[in-house]
Amino acid sequence: MKLLVIIPAYNEEESIVQTVNELRAVAPQYDYVVVNDGSKDATRDICIENGFNLIDLPVNIGLTGGFQTGMKYALRNGYDAAVQFDADGQHMPSCLEPMLHAMEDTGADIVIGSRFVTEKKSASMRMIGSRLISAMIKLTTGCSIKDPTSGLRMYNRAMIECFSAKSDFGPEPDSIAYLIRKGAKVAEVQASMRERQAGESYLTFTRSIEYMMRTCISILFVQWFRG
Amino acid sequence: MNISLRLFLAVSALIVLYFVVRKIKKSRFEAADALFWLFFIFALVVLALFPQISYGLSGVLGFESPSNFVFLCVIGILIMRVFSLTAKTSLMRMKLDSLIQEIALLRAQAKDENDQG
Repeated sequence: MKLLVIIPAYNEEESIVQTVNELRAVAPQYDYVVVNDGSKDATRDICIENGFNLIDLPVNIGLTGGFQTGMKYALRNGYDAAVQFDADGQHMPSCLEPMLHAMEDTGADIVIGSRFVTEKKSASMRMIGSRLISAMIKLTTGCSIKDPTSGLRMYNRAMIECFSAKSDFGPEPDSIAYLIRKGAKVAEVQASMRERQAGESYLTFTRSIEYMMRTCISILFVQWFRG
Repeated sequence: MNISLRLFLAVSALIVLYFVVRKIKKSRFEAADALFWLFFIFALVVLALFPQISYGLSGVLGFESPSNFVFLCVIGILIMRVFSLTAKTSLMRMKLDSLIQEIALLRAQAKDENDQG
């Protein structure tokens, strides 16, 4: 299977070089593309300087639109699978091969690089949120997802088409719940993750609350009426 | 519905009409927008000219005073407007996003072809 690694980047000048170089060193068999989402810092210049494969969005449109750009690129260039890979160094390139194997072996449409297949969840605030989202997905789809908020997700060709065609369809748990209800098969593979290498986490307290509210409303209400 | 409220409605309608005409002259308005505002002006004028409408409907719906009914009408119309504007901005955002993506994808493709050729 021909895999594309999509690396959405917004203001990641401190970590993008290390992330891409590590990816090229550990998993050189896969193509990658950095989607610069109108960063205000030097992310764009650094990518050009280093000759990285780059899609440069002229203005900031957010993760949903940025990731979708990568999916459209995958669709147009005939990739069989695409994986979302964080630019901040949290994800490990060594996880990609087991995930792709799992996709080939199980025929899953979506493979999640999950922190909690073999490991237990801690009891932090963030994990309470994760449990709540898991419970809602279980409630609405009957399917158990152990790590719904993991950003490391691999999609097959059918899912690439879906993400390219739909607007307001972000790489988030609510989209996963929607796809499961539409018949997509999900597999999870154990993947350890690092603390972020640089920069600040996007999720401050207020943003976390907002994220939880939006995700809950979306899974419990909005997704039932989507076309 | 005393005479001053009726006058106030009529004057408001005239002021709104003035701004609508000004926007149309500067071609800052689409025909569909102008239609809404003309409808709004029309509604104000009708309520000012025929207070019987407010009295009658207030009685049927149980409002304490006809002026409250007039306020409710205006609020109702405005809520409809906000609703349609929300839908419109969502649509605009989708179109804008896909245009931005297209520019970026075409640029990346052009660069690829340059590098190869």
